[in-house]
Amino acid sequence: MNAPKEFPVTSGSKAQPSRLDSVLIAEDDPIFHRVLQSQLQKWGYQVVAVKDGLDAWSALQQQNAPPMAILDWMMPGLDGIELCRKIRSSKPGPYRYLLLLTAKDDKKDVVAGLEAGADDYLTKPFDMDELHARVRAGKRILELQDALIKAHEALQFESAHDPLTGLWNRGAIAGMLKREVRRSVRSHESLGVIMADVDHFKKINDSYGHPAGDAVLREVAHRLVESVRCYDYVGRYGGEEFLIVVVDCAVSVLGAIAERVRLGIAERPIDTGVGQIRASLSVGLASAQAGSPDSLDPEELVRAADAALYSAKAKGRNRVESAPVVRAAGQGGG
Amino acid sequence: MTERRVWQRAEALRRLGGDEELLRELCQIFLEESPKLLQKLRQAVVYGDPEAALQAAHCLKGELSYLGAGKASQIARQLQDMADDKDLSQAAEKLAFLERELANLHCAMKDSAGMLR
Repeated sequence: MNAPKEFPVTSGSKAQPSRLDSVLIAEDDPIFHRVLQSQLQKWGYQVVAVKDGLDAWSALQQQNAPPMAILDWMMPGLDGIELCRKIRSSKPGPYRYLLLLTAKDDKKDVVAGLEAGADDYLTKPFDMDELHARVRAGKRILELQDALIKAHEALQFESAHDPLTGLWNRGAIAGMLKREVRRSVRSHESLGVIMADVDHFKKINDSYGHPAGDAVLREVAHRLVESVRCYDYVGRYGGEEFLIVVVDCAVSVLGAIAERVRLGIAERPIDTGVGQIRASLSVGLASAQAGSPDSLDPEELVRAADAALYSAKAKGRNRVESAPVVRAAGQGGG
Repeated sequence: MTERRVWQRAEALRRLGGDEELLRELCQIFLEESPKLLQKLRQAVVYGDPEAALQAAHCLKGELSYLGAGKASQIARQLQDMADDKDLSQAAEKLAFLERELANLHCAMKDSAGMLR
């Protein structure tokens, strides 16, 4: 759940994307089944071949199912038209390019096929050149779509991440805090917020230059991610200020995590292009007790952590200070 | 000469982009599978089942046309139309034509594959 440690990261959808050059063939006629399979393989496609509409449907439900399907109109189980309709009315997922096979002299209207959701059609008997051209046209559409999805994912990543450190940016981490507050209230779990600020960061920038300052911020971000548990969230809240959302965590454990965060920076200097730089963090933490009713305010948690952070600064920096446990109104102490 | 009338082999080969091996393979499949389809069609005609006749005739028509057996494909097409109109009264006669045509086609295919020599 933490931001990946490198930036930029390839826009990653969690599921492995389907191969654009894989094709499903649903054709019950043994001659056409063989022709399609043989030719598509010859052209370098990965082929999944089935002989009826129901098998085609279940093959398309698999993870990494082929993005393109060549469907015969007349098939046992589900025919091509029904299959097109079923695919188009199923829950949104990656777009399937559907090529319907029809017989030239069939009285059935090709329009009906296209209206059922087919992208294109091919009439039997077809030439290899025509088959190849239609499949390539489909692949072009799928490639365009793939590029769009990747661009969209990259934008989504960029809009939620800090480009310097690769951590969640302020908007994203605030959103996560809000969500985790709601979740903790619902599930009666406690929630911690750690606010950490690099001590004398302006001095680092002034003495070593901004590139060195950036290197320090990147390394601090990296060590923060290492110091917390994999299900906690780390974000860059401001210039040299970081916010960590610690989920489902007892107050004592929260203190230990905050201390680990502080020590992670203070115990060893940071390598930069201009040599090693010693840095430290002032850390403020705030926590909300489990079982608070619905009025717990994320802003209040951040304000409490911030106040604790200032108290840590005032008490000499490179230290951890805790705010009193935040309890929502109506909840008795204890 | 019969082969040319019954079977336009060159046409089928052109359609397959000149792939001789694939054509041989397809003929092999056809020699094995088409008797089953013909049997289905025959049964459908005998028992007066237009639905089943339609399916079998449709399949045969497609395969025959693809493999360059234009005349046989036309007959299968006529059978398909009869089944589509749910009138199989003239179907037995057509079916006999188709059977004869298919027998010739099988011979031509076997001949071409060297199976008769």
